[in-house]
Amino acid sequence: MNKESNVYIIIYSTVMVVIVAVLLAVAALSLKDRQDANILNEKKSAILASLGAADQNYDEFINAYAVNAEGEKIEGDVFVMLQDLKGSFEQGQYPVFEAQDGRVVLPITGTGLWGPIWGYIALESDMNTVAGIVLDHSGETPGLGAEIATPAHQAMYKGKQIFEGDEFVSVTLKKGGASEGNTHEVDAISGGTKTSDGVSAMLKNSLENYLPLLGAKKGAAAAEEVVAEVEETEESNVQNVEENE
Amino acid sequence: MSNTEKEPLFSAKNMKYLTGPFSANNPVIVQILGICSALAVTVQVKPALVMSLSVMVVTAFSNLVMSLLRKGIPSRIRIIVQLVVIAALVILVDQVLKAFVYDVSKQLSVYVGLIITNCIIMGRVEAFALGNKPWASFLDGIGNGLGYGVILVTVAFFRELFGSGSIFGYQIIPDSWYVANGGFYANNGLMLFPPMALILVGCIIWAHRSYNKDLQEK
Repeated sequence: MNKESNVYIIIYSTVMVVIVAVLLAVAALSLKDRQDANILNEKKSAILASLGAADQNYDEFINAYAVNAEGEKIEGDVFVMLQDLKGSFEQGQYPVFEAQDGRVVLPITGTGLWGPIWGYIALESDMNTVAGIVLDHSGETPGLGAEIATPAHQAMYKGKQIFEGDEFVSVTLKKGGASEGNTHEVDAISGGTKTSDGVSAMLKNSLENYLPLLGAKKGAAAAEEVVAEVEETEESNVQNVEENE
Repeated sequence: MSNTEKEPLFSAKNMKYLTGPFSANNPVIVQILGICSALAVTVQVKPALVMSLSVMVVTAFSNLVMSLLRKGIPSRIRIIVQLVVIAALVILVDQVLKAFVYDVSKQLSVYVGLIITNCIIMGRVEAFALGNKPWASFLDGIGNGLGYGVILVTVAFFRELFGSGSIFGYQIIPDSWYVANGGFYANNGLMLFPPMALILVGCIIWAHRSYNKDLQEK
């Protein structure tokens, strides 16, 4: 058959495309389970890492659920929500990962310079102090914006506070360095101003969604403290009584 | 080739296909191909290394496949056939990286996909694989991948060392040298920007040409 005839070319390209399509489909399907497992594992270990509890078993240590805009629990698979966190936020679904020791991890999502950035922020049981953070990105400039994903950068968030009194102020990345003693600022990245601004906006916008939940939890924590204090005073009363006798 | 006698697998001629692109016929610094990715992924050594390996796999196998197909391809659509083969291989590499070395694949992000547009691969298929036997083409692909990789890793070495003070992420410059800790040293921020990669590639070309007199234009 003539190699340059139209019929040959059409048959050749059809066969080629079908073979390639089958090959790629087989590869994609057979590797999908591993890839999905990798992605799920990465999310779980990022959640544990933000708590500084990488040695814990996720399934035992973390209780995952979702809340709505009012902070009430709703039904749904949190990992499905995480796949499109921005969309979930818009639909009023907010995943929460509560650790057994009372700390919570909240997923955050935003936009850097070149593409999406995301992460997990862990709050101490006072729902105010940052216990740790994990940040990641898809395509920030290596050495510049991509520095947000380094442990050195993420270590700066630890101990910062997202509330000033009762007012939500978030944590901001400050160009030129955080002013000393300020609990709401961390150093921005030199050469990564747009990414830094993106992280600031991401923290503010994402955490805002959780304010009702944080408020409720804060109230509960405060109430517990009051109860503890009351118990203490009762105990000391009993003691006093005993001593008097 | 007229001789019917079977050539040994690593004959002198075949070895030349493998080692030629290393220096005298280097794809990056002699043929000036694949410069774009040499600028993009050379800020740190590790991504540069994985990128080089991925490119090597794709050049080798696209050369092999195209060489096997070379007698049946209608010449009018050969570029499209090349593209389909290369694109399929790149997607396979990307899928395998995602399944087995997920963290590295995340670091390389879009650049794995962009291997499709790397001029070296199509250049070698068009210039070599379509006119040579499969084994020679395979070696040529490996050789060109290596030639590309050696430049990438060299550039990345200098950029990471002077730009971040580390190699493979391990700190090389002692902490006490830095100005922040009362020392005298500061990382060179320019090293982190793509233009510096171009300057470094230029320096390598300069050194390489002054060493290889036959590459100099009269």
